[in-house]
Amino acid sequence: MVGLRRLIGGSAGTLLVGVLAGFVISSAVGVFIQDSGLFGASGESPIAHAYMLGYLQRDPNAIVGIRPNQSIAQRAAELQGADASRATASIQPLSLTYIGGGSVGSYSVHIYAVDLRNAQGVDQFFSFALTVAGGKVIRRE
Amino acid sequence: MATLALFAVGILGGVVLHAFLEKGPAENPFPALPKVDEPPAAHDFVAAVGAEDAQALSKMADISILTDLDAALQPIVDVRSTRFVGAVESEGRLLSAYVVTGKTAQGIDFVVGFVLRVANDQVVGVN
Repeated sequence: MVGLRRLIGGSAGTLLVGVLAGFVISSAVGVFIQDSGLFGASGESPIAHAYMLGYLQRDPNAIVGIRPNQSIAQRAAELQGADASRATASIQPLSLTYIGGGSVGSYSVHIYAVDLRNAQGVDQFFSFALTVAGGKVIRRE
Repeated sequence: MATLALFAVGILGGVVLHAFLEKGPAENPFPALPKVDEPPAAHDFVAAVGAEDAQALSKMADISILTDLDAALQPIVDVRSTRFVGAVESEGRLLSAYVVTGKTAQGIDFVVGFVLRVANDQVVGVN
């Protein structure tokens, strides 16, 4: 009886370790393929993508976890600005284009073109270069 | 042998579980612009950056563009390579994007991206 229990326990443990290994491996392979642009992937970082969507949709809460830490006062001021911006619909995004990117070591850079219409109805066309490291956007140009 | 097979089954289960749970990034709700060829003026400008040819660069751009370029390249002080990654155009306004690798003042390998604004076959701005 004890032997059978030990056998089942050992088998469950082996299976569990295998599941964890499979999960981690497929996650790492997915990130590698996405970042390298293999198999038709754009090379766009999901972190940079989420950052740009959060920025254009004026949702600071969506990007709070993927940018450098800010003080409580900075976060409050940003939320206030986003609320005011949404209330007045001061900007209207017209397009968001991922142009491309590259990486060196743990640093990667991702470049976007943004077309938006401001409160005065004037179209603005400009770019963002986001530097990503350690799962966060550490720089925005 | 049975343990190894069980481990393999576990790995397969992990891969399936990951595929089920990982939904990937949200779709882009905004339209994307088509890519265009690299503008020749931007190509020449970046070639001078890559060659660290300050003489040529000084003849291609005014001081405000050079100041913006300096800011865009920070913290790289020693450019090792430049690569064109794409260009897009909207109503006659062209943006041409580049990735630059190099070393910082501390000798650390770094990568930065910058975008040249091009109009009338001239570089009119950086980022």
